[in-house]
Amino acid sequence: CRRLTEQEYSMVADILCEFLEVAIHLILYVREVYPSGIFQKRKKYNVPVQMSCHPELNQYIQDTLHCVKPLIEKNDAEKVVVVIMDKEHHPVERFVFEISQPPLLSIRFSSPLLIRNDTLLSHVEQLLRAFILKISVCDAVLNNNPPGCSFTVLVHTRDAATRNMEKVQVIKDFPWIVADEQEVHMQEPRLIPLKTMTSDIVKMQLYVEERTQKT
Amino acid sequence: MSRDGWMKKKANVGGDNGWSERGGYMAAKVSKLDEQFKLDAPREKHKEGACSSIFSGVAIYVNGYTEPSADELRRLMMLHGGQFHVYYSRSKTTHIIANNLPNSKIQELKGEKVIRPEWITDSIKAGRLLPYLQYMLYAKQKGLLFPGMTLRQTSEIAGPSHRPLQLNARQKLHLPQRSIQASVLNHEQSSSGCQNNSVPVSSHSLPQSVQHSSTTTQPSHSASSHLITDPRHRNPPHTHPLSNPSHTKHPHKSPQSTHPQEVEFQINGFLQTSRDTKSHSKINEMQECGKDHPRLAGVSKVVKEAPLSNGHTHLVNGALKPDDLSPATDQPSADKDLLKGRAKSSPDKPQSSPVQSQTKPDPYEFPHSPPKQSDQSPDLEEQSSSLGAEQRPKPPPPNYHEAAKASESHLLPKQPQTPNQLDKISNKTHPSPASLSLSYSSVRLNGSHHNAFSSDAASLSTTNTAATPDPPAGNSSFSSSSKSSAQLLEQTGGLISEFYSHSRLHQISTWRTGFSEYVNELHSKRKVAGGACFAGKDRLRKLVAQRHVDSQGTSAAINVKSCILHVDMDCFFVSVGIRHRPELKGKPVAVTSNRGQARVPVRPGANPQVEMQYYQRKYTNPQPEMTDDDDLHRTPSQESPDSHASRMHQETASLSMAEIASCSYEASYTHDIEALSCDEVLIDGSTLLAEVGVNPDDLAKAIRADIREKTGCCASVGMGSNILLARLATRKAKPNGQHFLKSEEVDDFIRDLPVTSLPGVGPVMGRKLAAMGVRSCGDLQQVSLSQLQKKFGPRTGQTLFRFCRGLDDRPVRYEKERKSVSAEMNYNIRFTKVDEAECFLTNLSMEVQKRLQEAGLRGRRVTLKVMVRKVGAPVEPAKYGGHGICDNLARTVMLAQSTDSGQLIATAVIKLLHAMKLQVQDLRGVGIQVQLLEGNQSVRQDCNVLRKRSIKDLLLGQEPSAKSNNRDTHQEKTSSTTVPSASSLPHPLSPAEPVPGTSKEQPAFRQTPKHSRSRLNLSIEVPSPSQVDRSVLEALPAELREQVEQSWTKRDGKQNNCRSPGLQLSTANPRPSSPPRPAPASVPALYTPPVGTLLLQIPNQPDSPGIVLELPNFSQVDPDVFAALPKELQEELKSAYSCVTNIQPQAKILEPKNPLLQLKQPGVGLGRVKRRYKRKNAISPVKKGASPLKKRQMTNSPAKTLAPAVKAREPINVLKTETDPSTSSSHPDIPESVTKLIARPAPALAGACDLTDIKTLLREWVTTITEPMEEDILQVVKYCTDLIEDKDLERLDLIIKYMKRIMQQSVESVWSMAFDFILDNVQVVVQQAYGSTLKIA
Repeated sequence: CRRLTEQEYSMVADILCEFLEVAIHLILYVREVYPSGIFQKRKKYNVPVQMSCHPELNQYIQDTLHCVKPLIEKNDAEKVVVVIMDKEHHPVERFVFEISQPPLLSIRFSSPLLIRNDTLLSHVEQLLRAFILKISVCDAVLNNNPPGCSFTVLVHTRDAATRNMEKVQVIKDFPWIVADEQEVHMQEPRLIPLKTMTSDIVKMQLYVEERTQKT
Repeated sequence: MSRDGWMKKKANVGGDNGWSERGGYMAAKVSKLDEQFKLDAPREKHKEGACSSIFSGVAIYVNGYTEPSADELRRLMMLHGGQFHVYYSRSKTTHIIANNLPNSKIQELKGEKVIRPEWITDSIKAGRLLPYLQYMLYAKQKGLLFPGMTLRQTSEIAGPSHRPLQLNARQKLHLPQRSIQASVLNHEQSSSGCQNNSVPVSSHSLPQSVQHSSTTTQPSHSASSHLITDPRHRNPPHTHPLSNPSHTKHPHKSPQSTHPQEVEFQINGFLQTSRDTKSHSKINEMQECGKDHPRLAGVSKVVKEAPLSNGHTHLVNGALKPDDLSPATDQPSADKDLLKGRAKSSPDKPQSSPVQSQTKPDPYEFPHSPPKQSDQSPDLEEQSSSLGAEQRPKPPPPNYHEAAKASESHLLPKQPQTPNQLDKISNKTHPSPASLSLSYSSVRLNGSHHNAFSSDAASLSTTNTAATPDPPAGNSSFSSSSKSSAQLLEQTGGLISEFYSHSRLHQISTWRTGFSEYVNELHSKRKVAGGACFAGKDRLRKLVAQRHVDSQGTSAAINVKSCILHVDMDCFFVSVGIRHRPELKGKPVAVTSNRGQARVPVRPGANPQVEMQYYQRKYTNPQPEMTDDDDLHRTPSQESPDSHASRMHQETASLSMAEIASCSYEASYTHDIEALSCDEVLIDGSTLLAEVGVNPDDLAKAIRADIREKTGCCASVGMGSNILLARLATRKAKPNGQHFLKSEEVDDFIRDLPVTSLPGVGPVMGRKLAAMGVRSCGDLQQVSLSQLQKKFGPRTGQTLFRFCRGLDDRPVRYEKERKSVSAEMNYNIRFTKVDEAECFLTNLSMEVQKRLQEAGLRGRRVTLKVMVRKVGAPVEPAKYGGHGICDNLARTVMLAQSTDSGQLIATAVIKLLHAMKLQVQDLRGVGIQVQLLEGNQSVRQDCNVLRKRSIKDLLLGQEPSAKSNNRDTHQEKTSSTTVPSASSLPHPLSPAEPVPGTSKEQPAFRQTPKHSRSRLNLSIEVPSPSQVDRSVLEALPAELREQVEQSWTKRDGKQNNCRSPGLQLSTANPRPSSPPRPAPASVPALYTPPVGTLLLQIPNQPDSPGIVLELPNFSQVDPDVFAALPKELQEELKSAYSCVTNIQPQAKILEPKNPLLQLKQPGVGLGRVKRRYKRKNAISPVKKGASPLKKRQMTNSPAKTLAPAVKAREPINVLKTETDPSTSSSHPDIPESVTKLIARPAPALAGACDLTDIKTLLREWVTTITEPMEEDILQVVKYCTDLIEDKDLERLDLIIKYMKRIMQQSVESVWSMAFDFILDNVQVVVQQAYGSTLKIA
C-alpha cells in the first residue's frame, strides 16, 4: 500500500471533478431545482444524464469545480456537498460526496504507471456510473422538495486548506467564503446513504441528508 | 584507420559502453548517407553518361585503403547500380572491399566476403558482374585463413597482376602448411613425450598466422623481430624438410622474381604459426601491433637497419632482444636446429630476400623478414648459448621484451620434431603464459629454459619448476605454473591446486563450507546421539532462573515469536590480525594477502594489492577524512603491512580454529545455525528463547561474551524476526554491539535504509533502481511488484518487493543441501593451444572430482563455464593475470549417469569446449560445475528416513504407556471426533514420509484445502511449544524430545503464517452445560479452517495427526464444568488461554501477510482458497444446525477485535491468519509477516466481508436461532460501527435494511427488539459521525 503520488492525485481530481460536474447537473435535474426545460439529455459513463444548457449555471458549476479541483488534488477536500435550500435559504437536502483516500492500494495498482491502465479506468467509470444511476433514482427515497429551491456547493476541507485556497480564488476571481451556519445546519437530518465506491485510486461515498420536515 | 574500424565494430556490437546511445544517431546517419547516395547517383550517372546496373543488389563497404580509392569506388557503384555503405552493416552490406586488412580486423571477420577492389573494376570492364570468388581477399573458412593470408601477401608482393596465378599460389600455399602439419604429426607420433602438441598445432596455427601477417604488414618492428628469429628455428631439419621444399617450390613457380622472398616469408609465417600455437606470444604480438608507435628508439633502429642487410639485422636483433639471457639460451637451442634447417633449405633464400625486399613495395615486411633470417643465421653460427645471451644484452622497453618473449615462445613450440626439442619447447612454453606481461618473469623463463637446455632436455619438469616462480610474482599468483605439452597435465594440476591453495577467496569460502559441514555434523551427531547437551543453553537457563528469582516479571513476557540472530565478527581479519597486538587497536590496519616472509617488492605490473582491506577504522577511527592511502601509509609506521600479512596467515589457522570454536559455542546453545561465511553465523533463536525463556538481548549478550572469550575478537549481533531483519540489525549493532530490531520498529527502520543495504542489491542493481528513482527502501516500497518483476525478473522482483518491506521468509537452514559442486578458475588463464586447455580441464575436473568425493556426491549434469575475452577487450587486462572484460559462456551436458569421476567429467567438458569453438587463446576463465547431485547425500537422507521411521516405531511402541492423563483425554477426543481420514491412516506409509515441518511439504499442505490435506497428512503434527506441557515433554525419551523440538524449530523457520495444518475439532456451542472443550457430537463433518483453534497434538501418537480444538471464548466457559475437569486438563486449558491472551495483543499487530508477497507461494490461488474457507467457515456451522452467529462468534470471539483487522486485505487476496491466538501461537513466525499498513482494515462480520456472505450469515442467524444472544448482537453492532468508520454507509444501509426485513418479519418479537437495539446503537454512531441519523424507510 502506498500513498498516491501527486500526479495520481491530479488525475484523480480530474476524474472526480468531471464526475462531480455530471453529478451536480443531474442532482439539479432530479431534485428539480431548475426547470427541466433547461436540461438536455447527454450520455456520460455510458448512461443517459441530464445536463443544463444554461450557460451561466454551467459556468458557475465549472468555476466551482475548478476551485474544488486543487483541493482534491491535495487531498484537502473531505466532502463536496451540494446543498439544496429552500426559499429561506435553509437547507432541505444535502448531497454529500465524501471523498477519501482509498483504504489501501492494492499491489496491482500501486504502480504509478498502471494508473493509466484502461482496466482501472474502466473500473472506476463503472463505479461512477453506479453513482449516477443512484442519483437519478434518488427521488424515490427522498421526499419532494418545496418549490423555489436554490442550491449551493459547499466544500468541507481538511485543516488549513482554505488558506491555500484563497490564492487560487484571487486568481480565478471566484472567491469562496465560509459557509453560513444557517446553510450548513440542518434540523433533524436523516441520512440516506446512496452509494459507496472503493476503487484503487479513490474512495468516495454519496449520501443524502434530508431534512425531516421539508415544508 | 584501424581504430575507426574498431570503434565501428563496437558500435555494431552495440549495447555497451554508451555506444548504444548513439545507435539512434548512427542509424539516422546511415540512412541519411544512403539517401544522399541515392540522390547523387542519378546526377553522377547523368554526368558520366555511361551507366549500367551491373552491381544492382551489391552493396559494398570499403574497409581501409584501397586502390582505386573509396571515393572512386563509390562513384563506380553509383554509376553501375550498386550501393555504397559508409558504415558496415552486417545485414545490408554484401561485400567488403579491401586491399589489405589489419590483423584485428581479420580476426573480426566472420564469414564476410572480403573482396579486392579489382573485382569491381574488372567487372565494370567486363560489363557484367564477375564472380567474386577469384577476388576474395581471404578464404571464407578460418582454416584457410592462414594460407589466404600468405597468399595475400604474396599477391601484394607480386602486385595485382598476379591475379590469375593467385589461385594456384593459394593452393600451393595450403599444401605446404599441411605438409608441415603432417610432418609435425609424424614427429610427434614418433616422439613419445609430446603427444598433445601435434593436433593443436595445426588448428592453432591459424590465428597465429593471422597475427603474423598483420604484424608483417604493419610497421611493427617487434613483430618483425619474431620473424627474424623464426626462420632459423622454424626450419629445423627434421620437421621441415618436407615443408620447406614445398614452400620453396611454390614460390618458384610463381613467375616473379620476388618469389624467393615470398617463400621465405611464407615459411616464416608457417613456422611462426606453429610456434605461436604453443606460445602465448600471440597476445603479445597483438599488443605490439597496437603499440607500435610507442616503441623505443631501438625499434626504429631496427627499422632502419633492417633494410640494410641481413648481417645488420642480426645486430638489430641483438638490440631488439636485449633483456633475456634466456632467450639467448632458447635460441641457441633453437639455433642449432635452425642452423641445420638453414643449412638445408632456407639459409640461402634469406640472403636473396633482402634484396628483394628492398625492391618490393612493402618495405616493412620484407626488411624485417630478411633481417630475421640473417640474424638467425648469424646466431646459428654462433650457436653457443652464451653467445646467444650476449646477442641480446640490452634491456628493451617492456613491450620490447614481450615481443622478444613472444618471438621466443613462437620459436619454441614449433620444434616438436625431436623429443629433445619438444621438451625444450614445453619448458619454454610453460613459463610463457605466466610471463606474458611481466618482463622479468620472461627473463626468468628464459633463464630456466636456458638451464634446461644446457643441462638436459630431459629435465623438463625441473626446468619448468625453475622457470615458474618469479619470486615477486609468487604471492598470490600461480602464474608460475605453466602448461607444457608433455607435462601439461601435471603442470595444470599443480597450477590448479596452487591456485586454490593461494586463493584467498577460496580459502574463505572453504572455511564457510567447513563451518556448514561442522553444523551439519553437529546435527547428524545429535540425531545419532539423541540429545545433545547444550552447555550454553544450560547456562542460559541458569541465568534465567536466577533472573526469575531476582525479578519475577521481566522474562515472563517472552513471546514465542521467531527470532533470528545474526552473529558477525567485527572486522574479522583485522581483529584477528591484531588480536595479539593490542597496541594496534584503534589504529588503521590494512591486511594484505601477502604471505611472503619478508617485505615483498610491489610487483611492477600489478597494483599493490591490499587485497583484504578491512576496516577497523570504519568503526574505531574517529577521523573520517582518512583515505585508504592514509591507511597504507600509516600502517607501515607501525609495522609493515607485509609482516602483518604474514602474521595474518599465521593467524588464520588459529583463527579458523577460534571461529570454529565460536561456532561450536553457539552450537552449544542451539543447533539451529547456519554458517554464512567464515565469520558470520545465523542462529534461529526462536526455540531456544522460547524454551529457556530468555529474551533475545540476553542471548545475544551471552553469545558475544562467549565469542569474545574464546576468540578474543568482537562480534556483533543483530536480531530480528527474520533473517533479513537480523542482518540489517547487525549493521546497526556494529561495532561490537547488538541490536534487536523490534517488529514495531521495522517499518520505520527499513523505510530509510538505502536500497543498497538490502542483501542482493549490489551496485548494479542499485544503479538500476536509482534510475527508477528508487534510493531508499521506502521508495522501493512504492514500486509495484509487477514492475519490479518486469525489471528484475520474477524471483528477484519478488524478493526485492518483500525485502524492502522487511519481509523475508527464508528459513535458517542449518542443513544445506549442496546443489552443485564446482571448481572455477578465472585467474591467469592463458592458453595457447587446445591441449593446454584440455589438460587444464582435465585437471580442473580432477579438482571437481576431489570436491565431489569430499562431499560424497555424484553429479549428473556437468556445466562448463567459460569466460572469453570480450571482442575488442584488451588482451591483457589491468589486473595482472586477471580475466579482464569477458563474455561468460556456459554449456551443459547431461551425463548418462551420475559420476564423481574426474575423467568422465573431463571428457564431457572437453567435448563441450570443442563444441563451443572458441579461440583457446581468448579463454580467461574456466569453471566446471556438477549439478543434479546425488549419491552419498542420498544415502545420508536414507539414514535420516530410517532414523525417523525408527523413531516412529519407537513412538508406536511406546504409545500405550506414554499416554499421560491428558493425553488420554485427548485421545478420547480424537477417537470420538472420528477424525476420519487422518486418524485412520495407516501410520507411516512410506519411508519418504516428510519430516514434520519439512519446509517443502508444509507450505504445500497449507495450501491445500483442509480436507484433502487431512487425507494427505502423514506427518506428525507437533503442537507449538507453548501448547506442550513441559513436564510431559521432558518425560519423553531424549530422541523424541529432540524430534519434537526440532520440528518446532523447523516450523519456526518454515511456516509462513499459514494456519496450522491438522485436524481440528471445532468446538461445540459453549452451552452452559457442555464442557468447555468441544463435545464430540458437535464436530462438524467438514473440517472448518481453524478459526480459533488450539492444536492439541500428541507427539507420541504418530498415527493420529493430532487434534485441533477450537477454544471457546473464555467467557463462554462454564466455570462449573471447568472445575469438574481433571487437574491437568484445567491447567492445559489455562495455559492455552493465557497463551491466547498473551498473544492477542501481538496478533493485533500482526497483519496477515499478503500471499502474493510470499516468495514461495503464488498467492492468488491461496488467497482464493482462504476465501473459500472463510465462507465455509462462516456458513458451515449453520449447516450443523448450531447458531451460526454463535458459531461465528465462538470462532471469532477470542479475537473479536481482530476480526476486522484480519479482513482487511481480503480484496487483495490477503491470507487471513485466522485471528486465532492459538493458531498464531503455534506459528511463531507470524510476526515475521508483520507489515504495518497504512490502510484501515475492511470491516467484516464473523470473517465475512462480502455483502452476500453477511446476508447469508444474518439470515441464518435469524432463522435458526430463536433468541439472539447479546453477544451476537453486539458483534453485529460492532460490524455496523466499523462500516460507519469505514465510510461505507451504503453497505450499512443495505445491511440495516436487510436486518430490518428479516428481523421484523421474524415471528419472535425478540428479533424485532434486537433489531431496534442494533439500530439504536448504529444511529448513535451515525449521529456522532455525521450529525444526522439514518433514514430508515
